[in-house]
Amino acid sequence: MLKINNLNANIEDKSILKDFSLNINPGEVHAIMGPNGSGKSTLSNILSGKKGYEISGEVLFENKNLFELETEERAHKGIFLAFQYPLEIPGVNTNIFLKTSLNAIRKARGEKELDAIEFLKLVKEKAKELKFDEEKLNRQLNVGFSGGEKKKNEILQMSMLSPKLSILDETDSGLDIDALKVVSDGVNTLRNKDNSFLIITHYQRLLDYIKPDFVHVLMNGKIIKSGGPELALELEKKGYENFN
Amino acid sequence: MTEQIKTDFEKIVKTSAFSEKDVVLKKKYLNRFIESGFPSRKLENWKFSDLNQIIKKNIGELSFYNNDTIPNKVDTSIFVEGLEHNKIIFINGRVEKIDFTYEDQDKIKINDDFKFLDEFSNSNSLLSLNNAFANKCYKITLKKGYSMKKPLVIYHTTNEKIKSRNINLRLEFELEQNSFLRTIDLFKDEAENNFINIFYNFDLKEDAILKNYKIDKVINQNIRYSYNNIEQGKNSVSETFILSSGSNFSKNEINCNLKGEYSSAFINGIFSLNNEQHHEVRTIINHLIENTKSYQLIKSVLGKNSKSVYQGKIFVDTKAQKTDGYQLSKAILLDETSEFNAKPELEIYADDVKCSHGSASGSLDENSIFYLMSRGLNYQQSKELLINGYLLDVVEKITDSEIKNLIKSMIGIRE
Amino acid sequence: MNTREKDIENLKDYKYGFSTDIENIRAPKGLNEDVIKFISNIKKEPKWMLDFRLKSFKRLQNLKEPDWQKPKYPKIDYQDLYYYSAPKSMSDKPKSLDELDPKLLETYKKLGIPLQEQARLNGIAIDAVFDSVSVATTFKDELTKQGIIFCSMSEAIQKHPDLVKKYLGTVIPTTDHFFATLNSAVFTDGSFVYIPEGVRCPMELSTYFRINASQTGQFERTLIIADKGSYVSYLEGCTAPMRDENQLHAANVELIALDDAEIKYSTVQNWYPGDENGKGGIYNFVTKRGLCKGRNSKISWTQVETGSAITWKYPSCILKGDNSIGEFYSIAITNNHQKADTGTKMIHLGKNTKSKIISKGISAGFSDMTYRGLVDINPKAKNSSNYTQCDSLLMGNKCGAHTVPYIKNKNFNSNIAHEATTSKISEEQLHYCQQRGLNSEEAVGLIVNGFCKEVLQQLPMEFAVEAQKLVGISLEGSVG
Repeated sequence: MLKINNLNANIEDKSILKDFSLNINPGEVHAIMGPNGSGKSTLSNILSGKKGYEISGEVLFENKNLFELETEERAHKGIFLAFQYPLEIPGVNTNIFLKTSLNAIRKARGEKELDAIEFLKLVKEKAKELKFDEEKLNRQLNVGFSGGEKKKNEILQMSMLSPKLSILDETDSGLDIDALKVVSDGVNTLRNKDNSFLIITHYQRLLDYIKPDFVHVLMNGKIIKSGGPELALELEKKGYENFN
Repeated sequence: MTEQIKTDFEKIVKTSAFSEKDVVLKKKYLNRFIESGFPSRKLENWKFSDLNQIIKKNIGELSFYNNDTIPNKVDTSIFVEGLEHNKIIFINGRVEKIDFTYEDQDKIKINDDFKFLDEFSNSNSLLSLNNAFANKCYKITLKKGYSMKKPLVIYHTTNEKIKSRNINLRLEFELEQNSFLRTIDLFKDEAENNFINIFYNFDLKEDAILKNYKIDKVINQNIRYSYNNIEQGKNSVSETFILSSGSNFSKNEINCNLKGEYSSAFINGIFSLNNEQHHEVRTIINHLIENTKSYQLIKSVLGKNSKSVYQGKIFVDTKAQKTDGYQLSKAILLDETSEFNAKPELEIYADDVKCSHGSASGSLDENSIFYLMSRGLNYQQSKELLINGYLLDVVEKITDSEIKNLIKSMIGIRE
Repeated sequence: MNTREKDIENLKDYKYGFSTDIENIRAPKGLNEDVIKFISNIKKEPKWMLDFRLKSFKRLQNLKEPDWQKPKYPKIDYQDLYYYSAPKSMSDKPKSLDELDPKLLETYKKLGIPLQEQARLNGIAIDAVFDSVSVATTFKDELTKQGIIFCSMSEAIQKHPDLVKKYLGTVIPTTDHFFATLNSAVFTDGSFVYIPEGVRCPMELSTYFRINASQTGQFERTLIIADKGSYVSYLEGCTAPMRDENQLHAANVELIALDDAEIKYSTVQNWYPGDENGKGGIYNFVTKRGLCKGRNSKISWTQVETGSAITWKYPSCILKGDNSIGEFYSIAITNNHQKADTGTKMIHLGKNTKSKIISKGISAGFSDMTYRGLVDINPKAKNSSNYTQCDSLLMGNKCGAHTVPYIKNKNFNSNIAHEATTSKISEEQLHYCQQRGLNSEEAVGLIVNGFCKEVLQQLPMEFAVEAQKLVGISLEGSVG
């Protein structure tokens, strides 16, 4: 599904990712763990198409060159990024945002756009599943939401848009146990043989709830070790500084 | 006025040692001033303060002749105590003393035949008047890399010898690369009903720092206008603090051109007015290049029949991306006869900027007074305590701790 | 094509840019006493009305065009304009809509304003002004039952002279500034509304303005009186055909609210803005002023200004009655070479008066936008307050956004609070929306509508939808 070959990324002459390679097949859950500044967020930014990086190397998504696609085209194709810091957009109603987004993606996929009633039915269902406070759907997008609510809102959006590849960028940071459960339940519901996940995290904690198939350790822009779920536990025990 | 001003001008030309060339130029400025006269409310800049009317009402006919040949006696009792400082002493507009005892003499250049007849970009009729009548203009240059050890106090004094007179002062400062100057303008007048017209020009080169504190605190019946032009090179910083409280009428204009990247300007001011006083501060900050910053905080406390005006403009050029500009003006009206006027203005031509302004005016918060009184203070004490707190944060903006403490003790603000 | 795309297709190239080929009656070109007499005569006006006009014209001779505004424009030759233009078929005024010139009906149909009985907009009574004259007023009978007068100004002068005489020129006197006085001299038509004591107007009243004829200035005059305890919501929409020349629109709107009355006045102004190179377009120099004459009265202005080459207007409130309230909600968008200098004046005279100003300015392309406003609390206006918020959004680096508030507080127990910000749409917000599948223009439309929300909320439902589309469409092509 996603093939990253020798990806290099720089910002203002500072090298952040160095010859980074990764292969994700349909249905797989990969976790990337690494300390602060190892390049984790850069990876998610590049995959979602954020501008401002000098990039070389190759990223294929379903055998298409990702770099030729605009951010929204990537979203249409099924890449979803749960932001580490979800943006606040004043004045924009959460429901309206969700509906606009969903219909843009459905349209691009050649599916019928949902009318207000169909949409509301769907969003209510999903909100209930994710224990997301319905009242918040009528508030301005992420404005005045707590950190946990914002992250839950990201997961709600993910489940609404049913992406093929979901990238969770430190979605666990700042979450209490209850919220963490809600988030991981959301992911696990969506997990099937076709959908893949890339979970970017600093801590092993989230991986107790979402069992990854593969764990990669990212240090200084490179994967230094890959393995199964046991690698995360090892990492937790030793700490990043002693891992080398 | 026209006849008087012409006669006075001829008299000065006769008694002073101006070169022929100077006289020609000065005459040009005289005519230019006569043409436009004192600014009136018809000019947008003077909308809230009609100087022409104010002079007419408070002084009547002005005389423009000043005898510059006879020195005045310096009264040393006016000197600031407890602060070692350099001095420039003006008496009735005449420079009586320039004293940089505390500094390395080879690091400071003082030039008294500086030809000042150039124009600012923002000239007005008062500048023409100043050019026509200022007797001498000193230029003070701080050499590259020199930080002045002690502050410079500029004493603006008058004695009872003059009345209904126009006095024009002019100083030039050049701060060479990475130099540092602190100045305090201290106003102390014995004379009454004069119009005092002050022009300063500061030229800040790369990395230079200027701190200018203006203290107009002693009650006096003069009309004062003061114009600071500040040119700022790369990475330079200017800090201006104005205490506007003593004169009958006062208008301070600060024009600041941020021409070098990462340069910044800070202007903070307090109006504390009473009894028919009318004071104005007008600022123009021109952000002309990327990554410049300006910050302004002006607070008024207005007693009986007093009026304060704040006009502030932030201009952002097309080139000036990443500008950070902020203005806040606040006023407390203590009496039904007091008045606050503001015109905070943004003129912006670049899109990646962060600019904002705010203005708030109203009475002292009765709830707070009530709260304090419930804790045993009387009304007057409560009021004073609240005003004290209200003004404290402006004084706290002063970055020089020595001068901050001096100003605090001068105006009786407690922490 | 989805609905949005259709909207864009329809509106992108100014969908109201057609002109209608209708035979006109015109006054002779130029501005003089004879033309004024011609206008008055053709409208069969009583003598007092003609005197009002002539007095204004006399006064006009001593007035100069103001020039303090930011957008400058080439000198207007006032002798080279037609001051009266009316469809010929209106000279013998049709008695019912069925007698209207079918071409006129067609025009309004194209504009989306059905005038025929069978196709009327639900719950909105409409007065349509075509060039200089009011051509049709709908729902008249129903309104008459409640004593509400909603008709053209010309008709009001004939049928309700006492009301017109009593109130016309009381808020905008004939001695006002140049354009207002010009209007007083030559105004041709407009709407008149009177809501009797205690009546809550059961539907939105609306006037739809259309400039059709070329070389014609449009000078309509609107007068709305809300008597004690009454309420009315009034909407105004404007369009004009595409022409290379600039056309002058100098209207006067006067509102009077008596004790406990409330007037809500909404405008969606979409006059032809000129082409992308700044050629042509309307000069929209309008004087709008409301007088809160009675105690507890309220006047609320809401405007969405997206059209015109130059917009220059300050809908204002004079808060004379104790406890009266003035509000001003504005969205102004300029793109390409458009210029706008707009804002409000809140003059506090009575005790306990309150005003609120929310202004959202968006500039794109090569355009220039100025918010200019005055808050003036007079010594007698005890316990009054104002809150002002003006936010500007810049899109691109060739446009300008300016904020020029004048604040005068002369009363010590009154409060004025003013906040202003200037910003741009952040890259991060755009990226977030795009990551959710929106293209950059959709993302901008969404964010800008969010930026304007506080104002859009003030509009009546039917207008809000139109305004939201306009907001997005006015900025088409400005994202790069």
